[in-house]
Amino acid sequence: MTIGLSFLLGLLASSVSYFMIGLWWPAAVVVGLFAWLAFALLDVKMDSTFTLLGGLLLVFCVSLSAMVFRASDQLSGLQYIDTQSEDGIEFRYPVPLLGNARYGEAVYKAHGCAACHTQQVTHESVVLDVKALTGEKNHAAVEEAISRFRNVTGRDASSGAGFPIGEWETVENALDAADASKARNFLAAAGASVDVQVRFRGEDLTQHDRQNPRGRGWGKRRSVAQDYLFAEPPMLGSVRIGPDLANVGVRHSRDVLMRILLNPKTFRKNSKMPQHRFLFKKAGKDEQGQHIIHDGEETYKPTKDAEALVDYLLSLKSANYPLPEAPINQPYTSSMPKPAPAPAEAPDATKADEAGK
Amino acid sequence: MSSEPKEDKASIDPREAVDRSCCGPVLFLAFSAVAWLLVYSLFALLAGVKVHAAGMMADSAWMAYGRIQPASQLALQFGFLVQLGLAVSAWILSHRGKTVLVDGGYLIFGGMLWNAGVTLGFLGILSGDASGLVGLQMPGNVLPLLFFGFALVGLSLVQTNNRRTDEEMSPAQWFLFAATLWLPWVLGGSYLLIHFFHAKGVVANIVDWWFIQNFARVYLTFVGLGTLFHFLSALSGRELVGRGYAQFAFWLLLLFGSVGGVSPGAPVPAWLPALSTITAVFYFFGVIAAWVSLTRTVNGASAANDEDSLAYNLMRLTALVFISVSILNVLFAFPGPGSVAEFTTYGPAMELLFKLGFVGLTLIAALYHIFPRLAGVDLSPTMTRVQTMAIVLGLIGASLPTALGGLMSGDAVLGSGFYFASLGNLFIFVGSLILFLNFLGAIRVAMKNCDCFASLFGKDDTKEASA
Repeated sequence: MTIGLSFLLGLLASSVSYFMIGLWWPAAVVVGLFAWLAFALLDVKMDSTFTLLGGLLLVFCVSLSAMVFRASDQLSGLQYIDTQSEDGIEFRYPVPLLGNARYGEAVYKAHGCAACHTQQVTHESVVLDVKALTGEKNHAAVEEAISRFRNVTGRDASSGAGFPIGEWETVENALDAADASKARNFLAAAGASVDVQVRFRGEDLTQHDRQNPRGRGWGKRRSVAQDYLFAEPPMLGSVRIGPDLANVGVRHSRDVLMRILLNPKTFRKNSKMPQHRFLFKKAGKDEQGQHIIHDGEETYKPTKDAEALVDYLLSLKSANYPLPEAPINQPYTSSMPKPAPAPAEAPDATKADEAGK
Repeated sequence: MSSEPKEDKASIDPREAVDRSCCGPVLFLAFSAVAWLLVYSLFALLAGVKVHAAGMMADSAWMAYGRIQPASQLALQFGFLVQLGLAVSAWILSHRGKTVLVDGGYLIFGGMLWNAGVTLGFLGILSGDASGLVGLQMPGNVLPLLFFGFALVGLSLVQTNNRRTDEEMSPAQWFLFAATLWLPWVLGGSYLLIHFFHAKGVVANIVDWWFIQNFARVYLTFVGLGTLFHFLSALSGRELVGRGYAQFAFWLLLLFGSVGGVSPGAPVPAWLPALSTITAVFYFFGVIAAWVSLTRTVNGASAANDEDSLAYNLMRLTALVFISVSILNVLFAFPGPGSVAEFTTYGPAMELLFKLGFVGLTLIAALYHIFPRLAGVDLSPTMTRVQTMAIVLGLIGASLPTALGGLMSGDAVLGSGFYFASLGNLFIFVGSLILFLNFLGAIRVAMKNCDCFASLFGKDDTKEASA
């Protein structure tokens, strides 16, 4: 191998060991030098089976530890966490599947629902809202900082005036990480208290209505690893021929889900979903009751499998409850009423850092 | 290693002795592979039709879309690609090493175990015993069977490679040797982590993605590239140019192909998708290096032998497919385009193009060259032409409209791409049916002529039943 190629390989080896495996940098340099020497100066020929075998084993270990073991280490500490429902009732999350739903998960797995449905709500971007609070002393400086910030970022600078005194007020909404950081620096330098709110955005998270025709309303927040603590295994899926089901328990009732399973076209005309008549039995003519479903001329009643599957689907509400790593409308912490008055607080650096990731 | 047995037989007519040793085992694996291709294309056709004919077979749980689609993928990947890959690897390793295939019986026995494993996995998925993971859909219990089946075949291949006449190994040998070792490691590792140590929560998915990535980007790519490295130089009658490039490509593809494959929005720690983007970019440098070496070798050359022109041209086409898919892959590895394509039918369409369009067609082209030498009879030239055309056209129909439709929809609502896909699947089905009949017919003629089949190929019936 030529000197140039082997040098490139050495460079790669050291950058991999530094950036991916996280080796101490001198160690990474040594690894790179070693790889360079091995390939160029000592001229390792790929003739011996043992050279190949050794290299393969090394790469295999690197691959396994860099991707699987590192992730497993990080995620092994996941535990129950406190969250609250819309009504403000606190509970421990995630909730294990109960009763029939546990069997329903097996039905979901057996019929391969994951071939068309994902169970992961994603976000596309993060935006930041900036609020500020100023006293009388710094007021002029803060107003000037606001208009300077708007000038720098190409916004309408005229509206900087008239910033209220002694009240939290929004400076700018929906900023990207770089602009939010600028705004924070400008305002903090002018002596104002600054608070930054992080919001996740994406088509999955936007409600579907007239203003947002592309919105899907599949969840209130993105899915995170915590949601799948008890899933066996998490059926994340990779293709969305149908809608995402991570939060389906919130969207549909038992009745609708049954009808969709039997004949999806009664629910949505252009549905691509195959019918699942095998989950239903034909009902007798004189049978009555809530569980009877009409499809054209025929009447059906659900089997045990269908009941369990719908129980499972109704239990899927993961994207509905806030978590620290995936908040829903995370509040402005500084502007919340506090027991003791705290007018000037140091700017919260950690949040903006989080958003920058 | 000692090379006495090779000396004895090969001194008479080396190539013939090598082919004679390969004949039974290689054709056994190749035949099972072709049968699995037929199974794949039938089930892929059914699955595709079910998307636009919602009421079809709605009373049968065994024929639910969510079962036949993963089952067809299993047939394609483990039934067809891996077995034909092993068959072609065995032939190339013994030809390149100028030595007889060592312990061909291992190939047959291992191949039987492998076929039993794939059959059980296939039936397991259809009967509702799937694992729920995207890459390793088959029930966990069949993985050890697959592992030992592959290990037995691998044992024979590694021994054959160790007995090579020239000490120096060529790029084709590195790639095929590495692939032969890599799959059992990855398969065994995933089995242990998922089913034995019961990886909790999304860790199971991470292991699954790790397997998918290693299977496609390392194992299948190495089999495909190894075959191209051998045949493109052998069929054009030229020496391989740019050994250094090949070596560079080998290590780069191995290192960066074995890590990554996590989609941008996945509910896992954020460094995993970021790492996947980085590895995809570095991986692409390896692809370029391999491409440079291949194009410089075949630059302007045509097949040295007229009989091989179909195989040679098909391989040049698959090399083109390889580079095109790789360019698209690296583009869509970035978070921006990646999140547009994520979860759409673009992903499966590209996978199909890569698996069947690059690896599958390369191996089929290799089979066109190998088969007459082993069986002593030619495949029917007309049928061969028709089946090749049908599969190539079918691939275009099955992958491109779905990929475009997926990109344009960016949503759950899909357009007419599925109708084209079904048409494409129909062509692939017709193509693989003709390939199967073609193969079967030629084998029957060969069995009458040649006695070496009678002993080694006596168990023909069990395999047909399993398929």
